[in-house]
Amino acid sequence: MAVTATAPATRPSAAASRTGAVAVTAALLLLVAALAVVDITQGTAAVGAPEVWKAFTGRADTTDSSVVIASRLPRMTAALLVGSVLGMAGAALQAVSRNVLASPDTLAVNAGSYAALGIAAATGISLPFLASSGIAFAGGLLAAAVVLGLSGLGAGTVRLVLAGSALTLGLTAVTEGLLQLFPQETEGLYKWNQGSVAQNGFDGVLQMLPVAVVGLVGLLLLARKVDALALGDDAARGVGVPVRSTRLTAVVLAALLSTSAVTLAGPIGFVGLCAPALVRPLARKLRAFTRSRASLPLAGLTGAALVLASDVLLRAVVPSDVAVAVPTGVVTSLLGALFLVVMAARVRDTAGAAQPDRLRIRSRGVFIVTTVVLVAVLVGLTVAAVLVGDSKLLMGDVVNWAQGRAGQTVSFVLDTRVPRVLAALCAGAALALAGTLVQAVTRNPLAEPGVLGVTNGAALGAVLLVTTVPAAGSWTIAGGAFAGAAVSAVLVFGLAAKGGFGQNRLVLVGFGVATGATAVISMLIILTDPFNATKALTWLGGSTYGRTLPDVVPLALVLAAGLTIAVVRRTELDLVSLDEDTPRLLGLNLSRGRFGLLVLSVLLSATAVAAAGTIGFVGLVAPHAARALVGRQHVRVIPVAVLLGAILVCVADLAGRTVIAPAQLGAGLMTAVIGTPYFLYLLVRSRR
Amino acid sequence: MRRHLITAAAATAAALALSSCGTTEPAADDAKSADSITLTDGTGAKVTLKNGPAKKVVGTEWNAVESLISLGVAPTGVADVKGYKAWDSAVPLKNDAKDIGTRGEPSMDTIASLKPDLIIATTDLPAAAVKQLRKIAPVLNLRPADAADPIGQMTKNLDLLAEATGTTEQATKLKKEFEAKLAEGKKALADAGRDGAKYAFADGYVTGNQTSIRPYTDGSLIGAVNKKLGLKNDWKVKGDKAYGLGATDVEGLTKLDEDVHFAYIGNEDDKGSNPFTGVLKKDKVWTSLPFVKKGNVHRLPDGIWMFGGTESMNQYVDSVVKALKK
Repeated sequence: MAVTATAPATRPSAAASRTGAVAVTAALLLLVAALAVVDITQGTAAVGAPEVWKAFTGRADTTDSSVVIASRLPRMTAALLVGSVLGMAGAALQAVSRNVLASPDTLAVNAGSYAALGIAAATGISLPFLASSGIAFAGGLLAAAVVLGLSGLGAGTVRLVLAGSALTLGLTAVTEGLLQLFPQETEGLYKWNQGSVAQNGFDGVLQMLPVAVVGLVGLLLLARKVDALALGDDAARGVGVPVRSTRLTAVVLAALLSTSAVTLAGPIGFVGLCAPALVRPLARKLRAFTRSRASLPLAGLTGAALVLASDVLLRAVVPSDVAVAVPTGVVTSLLGALFLVVMAARVRDTAGAAQPDRLRIRSRGVFIVTTVVLVAVLVGLTVAAVLVGDSKLLMGDVVNWAQGRAGQTVSFVLDTRVPRVLAALCAGAALALAGTLVQAVTRNPLAEPGVLGVTNGAALGAVLLVTTVPAAGSWTIAGGAFAGAAVSAVLVFGLAAKGGFGQNRLVLVGFGVATGATAVISMLIILTDPFNATKALTWLGGSTYGRTLPDVVPLALVLAAGLTIAVVRRTELDLVSLDEDTPRLLGLNLSRGRFGLLVLSVLLSATAVAAAGTIGFVGLVAPHAARALVGRQHVRVIPVAVLLGAILVCVADLAGRTVIAPAQLGAGLMTAVIGTPYFLYLLVRSRR
Repeated sequence: MRRHLITAAAATAAALALSSCGTTEPAADDAKSADSITLTDGTGAKVTLKNGPAKKVVGTEWNAVESLISLGVAPTGVADVKGYKAWDSAVPLKNDAKDIGTRGEPSMDTIASLKPDLIIATTDLPAAAVKQLRKIAPVLNLRPADAADPIGQMTKNLDLLAEATGTTEQATKLKKEFEAKLAEGKKALADAGRDGAKYAFADGYVTGNQTSIRPYTDGSLIGAVNKKLGLKNDWKVKGDKAYGLGATDVEGLTKLDEDVHFAYIGNEDDKGSNPFTGVLKKDKVWTSLPFVKKGNVHRLPDGIWMFGGTESMNQYVDSVVKALKK
């Protein structure tokens, strides 16, 4: 188990009992109430505290009182509701999956709802609120069902989060692609992606209230059974708790809660992950909170405080007219990211290394055949990618071009197309290699440059440059990307290195940094250049558009060096990826080698991002797929993973250039669309 | 299974090798030069048209496309044809222009296959893409909008396009018509007693159950036209540096003066773009606004492109006059 919630390690002392719990709850309630009052007095209308007071005492003019009634109060209640609902959903999901990373965000519930709404928006159908909630609900539930169905209830929690992250990536990519294709129709959706608690009147809140109540009551009724699950499945069965149905019910209720939050305010990230994490230390100190019945409402309160505090903070710091444009979700993500990083750094990480996923031992023949087939596919693909595009070419054209005798059109098409193909191939290979290295060194199946925030850090660096220096050349952008990647890598690995890369800590910190970086990117786009979202999305959606040969050179050099080093150090990789003790028994000190390999993977990801944007997913999928195909030895895994990565991105780029030609889809989007089903298929296959 | 895979891969490679011989284009020959034109585009770059005025022109942004059509040049390629038809019916596409992809990422292959004499791009495109486009044909890179001088930027772009396509007479005529339309509109509004009337133009969109409203400040093209018509822009928010658009919500409308005339443009093809006749009907803040109660809210006709050229603006002036005369 890589990421499992630890049961309270120490016995809660008897002194800190019920009174402590009551005091904590009361303090939280006071905090939420104070925040709520402040929130009502903030907004774009000139309605401050005195006017609000008048409105409540019935002495204000109609406009002021209607602002309070139809705009301020709904916003405040929406913040309360959304926060508490997400907090509870997260707490319930974490309890039943015994997994500190389970949350509406990681289980793809939010992504499913968002994708469903994005598809609805792109078709240009405008829907009444109820219908769009229905669509979002269907999408969210469907996503959660897929994730749970694939990971198998009660099966490994790592698989749950793997399937969830994979689906989240895929669905988010679909939605971002829609944003690129229908900028007009989905303009508001981009902001909505970050979630905002502003409301048109009470309708939405009133429609959501019953759902929230049903979810809460249902969860409280389940609470005792959920507590039993913490003992482990067998023990729970022993005391007569139906494990499967309890899990299923809890997850459906949590999905219901989180989709209702999504339809009301859009995906407000991180609350579902953060609120339970903040409550957990309390459970260690106060016995009362070890029970779900007490800790669920507390997580709800914490969530409400988080969302309200974000809203208040935003409106207090930023001028009101600007604050309108900044989504609440950006602020919660930033706050949440900060919390998560601090928490992860302080928490005692008892989760050891992940149990290696069971794999069949494969023979050398299998490896050779696999490699040969992959090489053949890659060659065929490269030829196809060069010939096929918006205008089809033939081999003779390429020969002419290579000899410099081609006509103007042909030479132009090839001049623009060949660099794109090369960028795609190299970026895919580099990301796959980086993912393989990171997974080996951290012994963490979830680790990859994207999950660890390295690629998002790189993207942030690049976008910072694009927004501050509009005329930045490709080399400057590459430099910016590298600086961003380096900073986020130092942050993530530096914080996680305490006590040798604890599993939870690494992924938590990485997750925090990744989400924080994404939030800052969104904020930058919205505040500095709101109508250039296409440009930024293009860059962030991972695209080889407009790439030239010089852009590919640094990537190719780093990739060649990386491959050489990885092959030379193959034995070390094998040893490092086993466990903590074996290398020590053999008298090897591997910490320096580990550090070098990590630096190499950061370098690989940064150059890949600079050459082709943030292409997620490859670093996660390729190594897993390679291990499933040829077993665990790195001498075999590395070539297969690299080939797979190159193939994946090349196919994605080719499809992106041709499927909806002359319009284009980013390669990053297509990798997710192609990679998600394959990855999910792998998960299903390994369920035996 | 595996054997099948190998066979398939081998067959694919063989098929590719066999079917992809030959060429699609004969070897290059030199084009003859005629009287050349040299222009300076919006980024200060020198652009030379070797063979005189361009005949086959491709546009990556709709404002340039609209101006081309107004100048009597049928564009050979247009980005996002469907979107253009939905949002800019004021100046409809008359010819069957080739769709070159999205406005953010026009397809290089398609543009190259059209063999244009001239490509009109805007600075919203990534610089790397513009650099590649220059290899296909000369590129006029325009600044799409400038909040410091919106009308000036529009006519500057019109003049550049006219010079490049040899239609300067038509451009002069368009600018004269536009000036005349502004004067005529100003007079009509003054006659109706609307000189110096407080006025606010916006568009809006709904997502989920939030309504975002975009105020058109003095820095927007529409805002500048309003000023010329003698209307007083009542928005107090700041706009962005290029398009002069701000951001607010329904609450923010309470800051508008009670005598303001509020106008907006929606789009029937895009229901989310029209909150004013939709969700706001039930919104207490909206219904309690003094100008809403007085009935001073005007929906202007769909299909006037708010960022377009002189012809879109002429229609806009007509529609404002018609709305405020009532």
